[in-house]
Amino acid sequence: MTDLNLLWTIQVAPLLAFLLIQISPKNLKKIAPLVGVAGSLLAAAASLVLLWQHLGGHGMPIEFVHKWLVVSDRPLWDAVPVDRYELIVGFLMDPLNLLMINLVTTISFFVQLFSVYYMHEDPSRPRYFGFLSFFSFAMTGLVLSNNLLQTFLFWELVGLTSYLLIGFWYEKTSASKAAKKAFVVNRLGDLGFYLGIIILFLLFGTLNFTALTTEALQGRFSTSILTVLGILIFMGVMGKSAQFPLHAWLPDAMEGPTPVSALIHSATMVAAGVFLLSRAYGLFGASFTTLAVILTIGAITALIGASLATIQKDIKRIMAYSTISQLGLMVMAVGAGSPVASMFHLSTHAYFKSLLFLTAGAFIHHFHTNDIWEIAKKGGKKETLPLLALCLGLFSLCGIFPFSGFFSKDMILEAVKEKNIFFYGAALFTSFLTVYYSFRLLFVLLFSKPTGEVHAHPGPFFLKYAMAKPLISLAVISLFVGALGTPLFGSRILHWLGGHESHMNLGLIATTAALIIAGAALAFMQFKNPEAALIKLDADKGFVKNILENRFYIDDLYEFLVEKISHKIAGLFDWFDRKVINGLMVNQTAYSVMRLGRVISRLQDGLLQDYLSLAMIVGVAIIFWLIKAT
Amino acid sequence: MTAAPLFSQSLQSYLLVSSLLFAMGIFGLLARRNLVAILISLELILNSASINFLAFNKFCLVDKTVGQVFVVFIIALAAAEVCIGLSLILLLYRRKDSINIEQAKELKG
Repeated sequence: MTDLNLLWTIQVAPLLAFLLIQISPKNLKKIAPLVGVAGSLLAAAASLVLLWQHLGGHGMPIEFVHKWLVVSDRPLWDAVPVDRYELIVGFLMDPLNLLMINLVTTISFFVQLFSVYYMHEDPSRPRYFGFLSFFSFAMTGLVLSNNLLQTFLFWELVGLTSYLLIGFWYEKTSASKAAKKAFVVNRLGDLGFYLGIIILFLLFGTLNFTALTTEALQGRFSTSILTVLGILIFMGVMGKSAQFPLHAWLPDAMEGPTPVSALIHSATMVAAGVFLLSRAYGLFGASFTTLAVILTIGAITALIGASLATIQKDIKRIMAYSTISQLGLMVMAVGAGSPVASMFHLSTHAYFKSLLFLTAGAFIHHFHTNDIWEIAKKGGKKETLPLLALCLGLFSLCGIFPFSGFFSKDMILEAVKEKNIFFYGAALFTSFLTVYYSFRLLFVLLFSKPTGEVHAHPGPFFLKYAMAKPLISLAVISLFVGALGTPLFGSRILHWLGGHESHMNLGLIATTAALIIAGAALAFMQFKNPEAALIKLDADKGFVKNILENRFYIDDLYEFLVEKISHKIAGLFDWFDRKVINGLMVNQTAYSVMRLGRVISRLQDGLLQDYLSLAMIVGVAIIFWLIKAT
Repeated sequence: MTAAPLFSQSLQSYLLVSSLLFAMGIFGLLARRNLVAILISLELILNSASINFLAFNKFCLVDKTVGQVFVVFIIALAAAEVCIGLSLILLLYRRKDSINIEQAKELKG
């Protein structure tokens, strides 16, 4: 198969699955999971073949483009030396896309498979698998597109599916609220993104990624324009990748089914922002100020996410905040000028975080609770496979050698260290907190004494398979994907992405090792007796606890902004609309016509003789007038 | 020369009678609420017109047949009109149990 056919397969297979699920008649809806899994499997296989064919990396990037729309074939104004505005659509294939598309399709496949297990009691399964397939379609489209506008279209589509899937259990008020919140917050970011695209197109005349190189942009624009463009487009990233201050939607997004959180809200969609940062790095890297802003926002996000994760009791929320902080780290890496490190961490993170979410899903599905103390009490540690997978994921997250997070996180730390020692400190503190909350979760699960009877979950073989297969596969992949970045394997991924050789920095390794030991020790001290620790945690009314409990008051700030200010303004407009436009202008016009009509309609009382008299009076008057005129 | 009698064989007296009839007809048409009475008033108006025709025919024209032909036509027309009018009134009576014209105002806007 040619490249183009493979790309089409990757792009269209999930869409076909979605359509098939949507149009299949009611009595055939049973096969929805099968269709979903098959669609994602096809896409994953095609992307693997594509990767295999291009492992050498020769002759890339390859573009398949098609003309779409000629916006203008004249210059739009004198100041801009562009004489042809044309939009194209197409596929772009380069190492970055190939890596990302493999990641997206494989994780999609595993998550679909796991969903067969997780959703198997849910009556609205077909809708779920349909949306999930549609998400895969939108996400592959986002990754494969070769220009910013096309990316933006799919960007909105993934936002839509995210909304639909967060609110999948829409009967729950909290779920529908969370979905709304995610949608609105994302719109805020996308507003900036869209403005940036429009301005860039008007000034630059093209939106192709291949044309957005730092040299071309710097040769054309002043630094301030580049800064504005970079920050506007970065706003989209802030929304989608849950960066401060638009991060507030991601923890609430955990209201969706857990596999959805694994796929959309940890591995792929939220990583799309980071992917875009690397994809259009030419634009962001062209301005020093933009990079500084990106670095700062990333650092704040990383710190906030990690510190909030330390007091959560809900296993999914721990992972949600952890995702926020890891995304912050990736964004920091881009801000520090190393998109390669960022993409490397994105890949490792995608695998181990989706693994973590799936284990969380396994626990939640088994014990019907999200609270880690509850899970521990009901015998969480007796679930061997999820527990092992959880350990592996957490070790990766902490960056313990030789798990995958070790390599990628060290690379980020190194990149940040070269840039700025202050941000290096922030990144190190984030890592420390990461270790702390990871081990806290682990120790609570391990050291609690199970009280209740563990009920076995009998089920057909395919359900067990659907649960175990993704966990094992993701665990294996996440073990290897990190090693691919080491000198041992010739730093394959890094070369592939066009980065430099990673060198083992002994000082850095020692620092991270010390951090890990310190974090683990602190967690051990506090949580060697989880029951007592829980009582202490609940009793703690300290300043820090208070701030963390209230999520740094960011949600309260939003609430204040929305309810006090924006609702007031909206109320004013509402009043104006109701009273002035509707009341005064529209209704009064109608009323006056009506009143006039009522007066005139008095003449028409239906009595024949009245009409006759009137006619006669008028007739006589006319006759008199005629006579007088002669 | 004796004083002219009140009703002499002159055009004026014919016209006087016909205008009296016309005025009565108009009054009946406008003032009565009974549909049959209204119809009768209409007949009066038609008859006054007929008298006018005959009077002018008698005093002003050489050929005496034109006006009489007209009057015959008017009488035929009046008969037809009464026929339709009465049947309408009958229908209205069946529907409303009344021939009061105030009952028949459903078509007003």
